[in-house]
Formats: sequence, structure tokens, C-alpha cells
Amino acid sequence: MQNSFGRKKVILMFLLPAFIIYTLFVVVSVIWAGYYSLFDWSGVGDKTFLGIRNYVHLFTKDTIFWSTAAHTLVYTIICILIQVFGGLVFAIFLTRITRFRAGLQTLYYVPVVISSVAICQIFTKLLSVTPIGVINAVLSIFNPDLAFMEWISNDALSLPVAAFVEGYKYLGLYMVIFYAALIGVPKELEEAAIVDGANVVQQYLHVKIPYIRPVIVANCVLVLNGSLRSFDISYLLTKGGPGNSSELMSTYMYKQAFTSMKYGYGSAVAMAIVAICLIVGLVFRKITERGDEE
Amino acid sequence: MRAKKIAALALAGVMLISTVLAGCGKETSSGSENNSGNKSAGERKKITALIRGSETSTTYIVLKKLLTKFSEEKGLEPPEFELVSGDADYVTKLQLYINSNALPDIYGCANGALSKAAKDIDSIVNIGDELERIGKKEDMNKAVYDFFKDADDGNVYLFPESLNCEFFLYRKDIFKKYNLETPKTWNEFLELCKTLKDKGEIPLIVAGKENWQLMRYLSFAPWRMTKDQFILDYIGQKEKFQTNTAAKSGAELLYTLGTEGYFQGGFLSTDYTAATDLFFGGTGCMWYSGSGQITQASEMYANGELGFFPVPDVDGEEDMDTNTPIHGGFGTAFNVQTYDDTMKEFFQYMCENYSEACYNDAKVFSPFNDPMPEGLDPMFYDLQPLFEKATDAWVSWDDKLDSATLTNLVDEQQKLAQGKETPEEFEAAADQFIINNSK
Repeated sequence: MQNSFGRKKVILMFLLPAFIIYTLFVVVSVIWAGYYSLFDWSGVGDKTFLGIRNYVHLFTKDTIFWSTAAHTLVYTIICILIQVFGGLVFAIFLTRITRFRAGLQTLYYVPVVISSVAICQIFTKLLSVTPIGVINAVLSIFNPDLAFMEWISNDALSLPVAAFVEGYKYLGLYMVIFYAALIGVPKELEEAAIVDGANVVQQYLHVKIPYIRPVIVANCVLVLNGSLRSFDISYLLTKGGPGNSSELMSTYMYKQAFTSMKYGYGSAVAMAIVAICLIVGLVFRKITERGDEE
Repeated sequence: MRAKKIAALALAGVMLISTVLAGCGKETSSGSENNSGNKSAGERKKITALIRGSETSTTYIVLKKLLTKFSEEKGLEPPEFELVSGDADYVTKLQLYINSNALPDIYGCANGALSKAAKDIDSIVNIGDELERIGKKEDMNKAVYDFFKDADDGNVYLFPESLNCEFFLYRKDIFKKYNLETPKTWNEFLELCKTLKDKGEIPLIVAGKENWQLMRYLSFAPWRMTKDQFILDYIGQKEKFQTNTAAKSGAELLYTLGTEGYFQGGFLSTDYTAATDLFFGGTGCMWYSGSGQITQASEMYANGELGFFPVPDVDGEEDMDTNTPIHGGFGTAFNVQTYDDTMKEFFQYMCENYSEACYNDAKVFSPFNDPMPEGLDPMFYDLQPLFEKATDAWVSWDDKLDSATLTNLVDEQQKLAQGKETPEEFEAAADQFIINNSK
């Protein structure tokens, strides 16, 4: 067995399908987008070669793009807070209970399998102002003015609300991963901590959470990746509005390419997203690697 | 082992070649095509159509009926429909077909960049000439015909899906309760909104999530005062929002309606379906609607709860006579490269039977001035005088503007309606958009 896995051909056989698919669907697409980004093209008719002018405009004149980058950063932070830390808290909660655990686990996981369209419809109704949705109806019990609180159509709140909905949708997924990691912590470590006089909080803070640190880092990377290129929730819930208040890099790219019919410029935005994702990913990896060495 | 390898390679090769050959030899839905996409004469098997919308859309209902019947009569296979609901998805699909020169026989198309692109590759039939050929040009409503006139050459390349007229629906019972009259001018309209708001009512329902709904308020004054002059001059950079009285009136109107709270709360997150449900569910006093809503309005109208009024005049300005926006909806184009004798026959058949399908199946007004059948909803007969003599069509900014400027204006009008920017700031931004996007 060891020998056969050591053979180059066998390794190649296992790696090749994934490599080919990845190259076809990711690498080729990125190269293709890079090619289009050098043109002015409306999607129909002839393309006009612009060289790097799309990039010059993007990085020097397009203030909306930079605001969408800032929005994406805020969006990502909120998503990490909800999905990673929220997921961890929920997983800890699950490990502490013995009854209804499976039921609750399933319940928390349900939003993950519901489609984004349905989730957005549910939240649109819940947060509705006219007619008053459930959230405002409940809030108005405490303060009648809150009955008219605008969530989705308020430019100060639309971005956090969209991030919250995204966080809510995927929280269950990370909760399950954390739960699996937490129940995998060796009992001996927990018992040793108890013998040393650690209380429950200390057991988690000093033993269990440090033990599952690689899982936390992996989840952070997953959420980071997902949030940086997040599209569906923001687009379906707010369409990036009002104005551009909840516009993310990906929705902006879509609007440029498919709504404004500026395929070349949209491709330049797409390339910028790829570059930003790579940079953020590499920086995050460096930081976490340094943490590992320490 | 070696023989096995050779056999596997040979098998893979055969599969690859057969796949490629199958692809090359694939018959398109409307018959075999040569390399240029043209169909060989006499080989038509079916008629294909690409339609923007769902199975409840007017174009689909009408064309489904007419094409099916025609195909049966001519011994063709049943027609093949491709439906794409989302606007952006549809445009992407159409671009794909235009770029690959593989347009179907019939396709939905807006009057503007897309029809121009189809014209550039010689893939769009001159509908005006065809109507003249079959003697139906004079039978078409003048305003609807006018709506589809090409901005460059004045020809008509698109067939209207129906005659759509737009108007304000209002709650007669609420107006009666407060002894209110329908407004004749925009100042009266704003006073009316103020009165209704003071009485604790929601004056106006708007689907602010839809681009076109807020844009109507922006373009009412320019339309009444200049028809398409302002928007065409704006596109040509001969006119500015900042200096044009009509455009400034439009921006001011949208700003006032939004910031004075005359729209329903959370209007920017209300889509068209939700707005429809709100109004016909009893919320709000007025709603800018159209003949496409007759079915929903029918019951309330019959009970005397609903009335309608046209677009008000701009105070102190010279307004054109037509005050009811009339348009032909999303246009239908015919592919000139597949426009053979069968398609010519179908075009004539379609024109002769279009009104019947509109009234009886789709429940919409026909673009032809044919007499309306008896037994329709009373609203049909009451609305007809609004557009009977209209000669000027509605001017849709979303058709005229380039996509980039339209997208910019849509984002900006939301800020204006929310009061996040003043009309002056909006006007300055709008003037900059057209300059930036023309570069």
C-alpha cells in the first residue's frame, strides 16, 4: 500500500482530475477575465483595446469600488464574528447539554440547507416596515417608534443586516465543524485540567479552545474566503442599496459587467477581487503561521 | 496490458470524435443551419422564440397560442420557447446569441442598445415595412408605433407585446371620506399627498426596489414638457439636469415625495409584487399602476372603491396633450436571417389574430385599433378613452439611456428619494454620469 501510494503515477492519477477541473474552471476563467479586462466591450459588437486603462480608472478614479472594498471588509468582519465565534459558542453550548442535542443541532443547521432566495424572502418579510413585520412588531412593544424602523432600506443598516443574514445562514455549518472538533478533544486533557482545579470556563479557555486552534484557523479562512466573494445574500436582500450603501465588491463587479454592460471594466473589477482575496488570504496565513511558530 | 491500453485509448478517441461530430451535426431547434446560421430554404421544421418573462407574461401567452395554432395548420413541429425571467439574465442570453450569430426566429428585445446591436449584425426585421406589406400599419395605435421608433433612423424594428397605458389608481372611498378631488397638476398632487398624510393615511405606494418605478417620478415632468427632447439631448450632452427646468422639476418631485414621507415606510425595499399586494390589500391611497393590473383591480373597481387619473400637468409650463403614458412593453423582434416565407406568413397570421389573443387570453389591450370584444372587465372600456386619441408615446428612460448611466442613475435616485442628497447634488451627479460613461 505504502509503495503504491509512493509511486508518482498513482499520485498523479489522484491529483490530475482535480487539477484539470480546477485549471479549466478557475485558472482559465481568471486568465480569460484578465484578457477581457484590457478591453472596452459592451458584450455585443467589437472590443476596443484599452491596455491597462480600466485598471488605472479602477484604482485612481473609481471611488465606489473602494467603498465597496471597505463594505466587503466590514461584511467579512461581521461574518467572522457571527459564523466563527457564534458557531464556536453554539458548539460549546451543544457540548454542555445532554438532552435535545440532536434536535437543536438539526435546527441550527436548517438555514444552511435553505436556499439563499428563501432566506432573503423570509428576512424581507420579518424586517418589513409596510406592512409591519414581526421584528418591528415585537420591537414596538418596547418603543412604538421602532415599528417604523427601516432595516433593509436604511443606508446605515443595510450592510450589517445583509452580513447578519449571511452569518445566520452559515452559522450552523461552522457550529457542526466546531462541535466535531470539541468532542474530539481527549478526555485526559479535560480530566487533567479538572485535577489542576480549572473551572468550566478555564477548561475551555486554556485547554479545549487552544487544542482546536487549527480548526478555528481553518474556519476563519473558509469564512474569509466566502465573505470576500459573497454575492447572493447582499444582492437578493438589498441589491447593494440603497444607493451603494451595501454594495460589495462582487455585486459591484456583477453590476458593472451585466447591468452596465461594461464587460471589460467588470473583468478588471473581477481581477482586483482575485488580487485582494489572494493578498488577504496570504496575510492571514502568515499571521496564523507566525502564531503556530510561537 | 499494452493491448488493453491501446483499446482504452481507441475507445476514448471514438467517444471524443463522436461527441464532436454530434455537436457539429446538431440540428438547431428550427431546422438545420449552415455555418452562417442561415436556414436552408424549405427545411424549416419549427419556429423558435426566446422570450423575456415567465409563462404568465403577455408575450408568452399570446405567442404560445398563435405559434401553436399556426404550426399545427402548417404541419410544423410544436414551437420551441425559451423563457428567461431575470432582466440581466435575459440580456446576457441575448448577447450570447447576438455574439454567436445564433438568434432564434423570434426574440424579445428592448428599443435601444440591444436592438441596435441586432441591427448591426443584420438580424432584425423592419417591422414597419412588414406592417405596411400586409396593410396593418394604419391599424396600429399611433402612440405604440411611435414608442418603438428607432432613435437613429426612425424605423420600427420591434413589435409591441401589447398596448400598455399607465395611470394613477386611487382609493375612491378614502378620497370621498376626506372630500378630496383628483389632482390636475403636480402641485395639487403634492397638496393632496400632504392632506392625506396629515389624516394619517399613506398617500402613495411605490415599488422602490424596482428601478423603473422611482424613475417614472423623475421623468414625468420632462416627458410632459419635452416628450423625448430632454433625454435625447441629455444623452447627446447638449442638455443638463442642472440647467433644464423639466429635469429639475422631476428631481424636485422625487425628492419631495420621498423626504416628506408620502411614500410608504421602507419603500426602497418594496418590490412590485409586494407593492401590488399592499395597494390591493387596502394599504395606501394612490398607486402608479397600469393596464397590466386590470385583473387585480377588477373587484375593487367594480365595488366603486377604485378610480384612476392620468399624469398631472407641470404647473406653469406648457405640457403636451397626451397625459397617459402609453407604451408597447418589451418589444418582439424577428430574426431577418431566418425570416423566410413561413415566417412572413406567420407575421401576417399573428397581426390578424393578435387582438383576439390579447383580449381573450392575456387580458391586455391590443396594440391594434381593433374593436374590443364584449364581455371584458368594465375597466377595459373605461380606460380606453384615455389613450384613444393619443399620438405621443411614453418615453422610457431605461430604454434610451446607456446601461452604465442607467445603473448610475438608479443608485443615485434612491439616494435622492431617501433625502441622502439634495436635488442639486443629484443633478450634478447625473450630469457627470453621462460624461463619464461616454468616454
